[in-house]
Amino acid sequence: MKNHTYYRMVEELLSRSIAQGTLPPGTQLMASPLAERLSVSRSPVTRALKALADRGVILEVPGQGYMVAGPGADRPVRRNLHDIDLTLGPDPDGRQAPVAPSWEPILDEVAAQVLNAIPFGTFMVSETVLGAHFGVSRTVVRDVLSRLHGQRMVRKDRQSHWITGPLSARRLADAHELRRQIEPLAVSCAIGQVPRADLAAMRERLRAALAGPAPLTQPQIDAFEADLHDTCVAAAPNRLLADTVRPLQLAHVVNRLFATYIGVHDAGAMLAEHRLVFDHMLIGDAGGAAAALRFHLDAEHDRARARLKVLSIFDAPEVAAYLSRIH
Amino acid sequence: MVDHPPLRVIGRSEFLPQTIRDRARAELPFPITFELSDSIEGLQRVVSRPASFDVYHQWHTVDLTWTARAIQPIALERIDGGAEILAAARARIGDTGVIDTVFDRLFVQPDGRLGSAPAPSIAMLPCMHGVDSFAFHEDLFTLIDRDEPHSWGWLFDPRWTGRAALLADPVLGMIEAALATEASERVSFADLGNLTIDEIDQVVDTLIRLKRRGHFRRSWRNYEEAAELMRRGVLVQSMFYPGFVRLQRGGMSVHMADPIEGMRGWHADVCVSAATGGRMLDAAYAYLNWWQNGWPMACLSRQGYYGTLPERVRPHMSAAEWAYWYGGAPACEVLPDPFGRPAVPAGHRRPGGSHRERMSRARVWNAFMDEHTYLMRRWQQFVAP
Repeated sequence: MKNHTYYRMVEELLSRSIAQGTLPPGTQLMASPLAERLSVSRSPVTRALKALADRGVILEVPGQGYMVAGPGADRPVRRNLHDIDLTLGPDPDGRQAPVAPSWEPILDEVAAQVLNAIPFGTFMVSETVLGAHFGVSRTVVRDVLSRLHGQRMVRKDRQSHWITGPLSARRLADAHELRRQIEPLAVSCAIGQVPRADLAAMRERLRAALAGPAPLTQPQIDAFEADLHDTCVAAAPNRLLADTVRPLQLAHVVNRLFATYIGVHDAGAMLAEHRLVFDHMLIGDAGGAAAALRFHLDAEHDRARARLKVLSIFDAPEVAAYLSRIH
Repeated sequence: MVDHPPLRVIGRSEFLPQTIRDRARAELPFPITFELSDSIEGLQRVVSRPASFDVYHQWHTVDLTWTARAIQPIALERIDGGAEILAAARARIGDTGVIDTVFDRLFVQPDGRLGSAPAPSIAMLPCMHGVDSFAFHEDLFTLIDRDEPHSWGWLFDPRWTGRAALLADPVLGMIEAALATEASERVSFADLGNLTIDEIDQVVDTLIRLKRRGHFRRSWRNYEEAAELMRRGVLVQSMFYPGFVRLQRGGMSVHMADPIEGMRGWHADVCVSAATGGRMLDAAYAYLNWWQNGWPMACLSRQGYYGTLPERVRPHMSAAEWAYWYGGAPACEVLPDPFGRPAVPAGHRRPGGSHRERMSRARVWNAFMDEHTYLMRRWQQFVAP
C-alpha cells in the first residue's frame, strides 16, 4: 500500500465534490464533522484539508476551520454534511474505502504484512509510522496492535517496543501440534452446518482441478485452502473453536511466500488430501473427516517445514515501512 | 560444435580448481562456463532461477534445491558406473557411519521425496566426500604438551586468546562452534547438525563472550584466506583440507587435528537444473560422466578429498599417492598437490588414518538446520564488527 493513501482519498473526494459543485463556494469544512460524515478518523481529514488549502481550493478561516473558495465565498456557510452526497468509493487500485474509523480494515493489512516478514527474522513495529502510514490516530494504532497481541502475532519487549517474529521452525511445529488437534474437531463439528450442495460444489471443484492438465495459480490454490480451512472451519457452531484455529494456520503463510519466491508447484497431493476430507463430510462421517484432515495437516506441515528452510536462505523481502528489522 | 551454447556450471572454488576447469574444457566437445561462488548468493540463484544454470555442484543443499524443484532427477542408466553407485548404496544398508549421509537422500522415491531405498533415478550424482576438523601451528606445542589429545575445545581455549580463528560460513561455523562449545562448556547437544533455538543461543552467546575478550583474530571465507591467516600468526583455527595442503606446500609446520570428539563430515555432488533440456541436457550428462572417469577425483584427492567410487580414482594416482591419501600410510616420497606442485613432505602421515577410518570419525554432517533463519541472524551478531 502507498503511504498516506487515506488522506489522498479524502483529498480527492473533497476536490471532486468542490469541482462538481456538490460543495459550493463558502461551504464550511471542519475536520471533526467531516471525519464523522466520512466515517474516518480525524487525522487523514486534517491532512487532506491542509493539502487543499495549500492548493488554494479551500481557504482557512481562523477559528472556523476552512471554507470552499470561489465566487461569492466571503464567509463560511455551515451546512448539514449529511444532506450532501459524500461517499468514499474504492480507490483506483480497487481497494475499498475506509468506511469505518475503526481498526478493522487496518488489522487485516497489518497482519498480512507481519506474516510476510516474520519468516525472515525479527521485526519491530513502529506505532508512529503505522499511524502515519494509514493516516489514523494513535488510539486506532493501539487497537490494531492490541488485537494482534491477542492473536499472539506481536509482543512487547522489556522496553515496551512492539516486536514480531521470527517464524521459526519451532513456532511452525508448535502451531501445527495444536492445529492438528483443534482443526479436525472444528471440521467434524461443521458437518451438517455446511449446506450439502456447497460441500458437493467444493468437492467437484477439487475433482475438476485434479483431472485438469494445467498447473494451478496461487489464487486458485488460495481458493481451495479457503474452501476447507475457512468455510468449513468457520461453520463450526463453536465460535471459540473457529477463532482459535485461524492464527494457527501458519503453513499457508509459508506456502504463499514460497510461491512468491520460488514458484507455484504441483498441488496434486494437497488437492487429493482435501478431496478425502470432503468425501467423508459428504457422507456425514465426522470421525473419517477428522482423520483425513489430520492426515492432510501432517503432510502439509512436512511440506511447509521444508519450504520454510528454503525461504531461510533469502533475506527479508520488501517489508512495510512500519516494520524495522531487529535481527 | 562451434555453435553449441556453453554448459553453465556453478560450484565452489574448492571443487573446481583451475586444473579441473581446464581439463573439462579440453576433453568435452562443447564450451563450458564455470561460475565460482563461495557464498549464499550462488545457492539463492540456484533455487530461485533454475533457468540461469545447467549444472550445480551441490554441498549440503540438496534438500533445499529438491524442495524448490530447481534440479531434476538424474537417470542412473545414463550414468557411467550407475550400477556401481547402486551397489555402493546397497552395500551400505545396515552399515553405520562411514559415508553415511551421501546415500541417505539420494534416490527419488515413488512419492517424489528423496530417500535411501535404491531407485532408478537420483537427485544428485555422488561425487566426493570428506571430513574436516581444525588446524594448529607447530608453535602451539610451546604452550601445551605434545601428547595432549586434540579437542574442538581448543578453538575456544583462552591459552591462545587473540590467536584463534573460525570460518565465516554460518552453516559450518555453527557446527564447529557447537562442537567447541560442547568441549569447552561441558554441555551436550542432542543433534549437532540440527540445533534448537535455545542451543543456538547458547553457542552464539559463548562466541560473543569470547569475541568481546578478543579471542578471535578474524574469520575466513575460503581456504586461501584460511591459509593466509595461519601465515599471519593464528595458532588454532577451522581449516578446509585444501588450505592445509596449501600450507604444507609453503613449508609451514602445521598440523591437521584429529579431535577426540570426531570430525565434521561433508559430501559434494553434481546436480542438473530442472530447466535444462534437449542437447543441453545431453551436455550435462556428458559433464556428469566426465566426473565419473576417475581423473577429476584423483586430482581433488590430492587436496584431501575422497571420491565416491575410489576404484575409479585409483588408476589415476601413483601407488605412493594411493597409499598416502586413501590407505593412510606415511608418504614414501614428496607428493604433489592438485596443481602438480610438491606439497606433502615425505614421511608425513594423514591424521586419522585411512579413508575408511577417517570417514568413520564423522561425528556430524554439514546441514542446513531447521532453524536456519534464526541461526543466520544470531551468527550475524557474532561476525558483525
